[in-house]
Amino acid sequence: MIKPLDIAAGSVLFTALVLGLLVPPDAVQGDLQRIMYVHVPSAWLAYLSFGLTLVFGVAYLRTRRIRWDHLAGASAEVGVVFTGLALVTGSIWGKPVWGVWWTWDARLVLTAVMFFVYLGYLALRRAFEDPEVRARRAAVYGIVAVAQIPLVHFSVVWWRGLHQPPTVLRPGDPQIDGPLLAALLAAVFAFTVVYAALVSRRAEVGRLEDRAATRPADGAVAGDGISAPPIVGGGR
Amino acid sequence: MRRYRLFIIAAAGLLAVLIGFLAFNLRGDLVYYRTPTEILDDPAAAAAGRFRLGGQVVPGTVVDDGEAVQFEITDGTATVAVSHRGVPQQLFREGIGVVVEGTWDGEVFSSDSMIIKHDEQYRTEEGGVYTPDSRYP
Repeated sequence: MIKPLDIAAGSVLFTALVLGLLVPPDAVQGDLQRIMYVHVPSAWLAYLSFGLTLVFGVAYLRTRRIRWDHLAGASAEVGVVFTGLALVTGSIWGKPVWGVWWTWDARLVLTAVMFFVYLGYLALRRAFEDPEVRARRAAVYGIVAVAQIPLVHFSVVWWRGLHQPPTVLRPGDPQIDGPLLAALLAAVFAFTVVYAALVSRRAEVGRLEDRAATRPADGAVAGDGISAPPIVGGGR
Repeated sequence: MRRYRLFIIAAAGLLAVLIGFLAFNLRGDLVYYRTPTEILDDPAAAAAGRFRLGGQVVPGTVVDDGEAVQFEITDGTATVAVSHRGVPQQLFREGIGVVVEGTWDGEVFSSDSMIIKHDEQYRTEEGGVYTPDSRYP
């Protein structure tokens, strides 16, 4: 069933795609710069997802309602996917612009670390049968792991490296021309709506997974009506 | 076993990143590149072996003599002459940031590997004015 949120996500994403292809290219990089309209929103979603995993985790610990845990797990899963997308698109951009697919720069290394740490979060969630135990441990892990976000974001300011410092989220004016900034903000907005749509779906699936695991033989099963035929006559 | 498979992938990936970071860190001091000012102030730099040097290509200094590309890079304070053997990167031009890797003899930095350090500015051809970064690095 298609929800209104899915339609909204699809249409804003389409608008952002059209904008990203229509705005003029960057003067130095040419069309290569357009990958920014996927790369930057992906990195933003990584921050947002893991930040909200913390918020949902805290909400679970305070209320003990399992709903919050399903949201926390869904958010982390979406975050891992978009962290991966940020790494891959960055690599595809890095080859023609920097000249290398990968380099051991602080931003790149810390982003890869964040990817694997949250993969570990997803692994932790699978390790427990009991949803209550899983929710408690995952919430604590999510609270501790979130400390990396400022580390990843400010790595380009704190350490000398190859990755460029922030263009928009910086003191002073954004270092980007109007049309390019508009396309970038449209993409960030679109990805945020996509995030909401994906998390609401995934949290629902998480709820159903828990229900299936705790009540395996719920209701009638095909073949219930068949029983073994009575043995008549005894032995020969 | 299946339940722990993702744990193993995550732990192995984390380990690979950490080992890679330590193994490929050229000088072991966690500095991605050094600047012209730093190496001119450091008497040991000429004998330091391979390291990375970063700066902005000084406009008007790029000369391609067929064998190597000669140019100067600056951090705004000091300037170092670079002789790069090999094909320069696609975006190599006057005023752009570069990180070159090689050795320094006290006068010329001999590089065989070049990475472009793109800054955080994005400008259209017609609209904006591209102002080379004055606070490099």
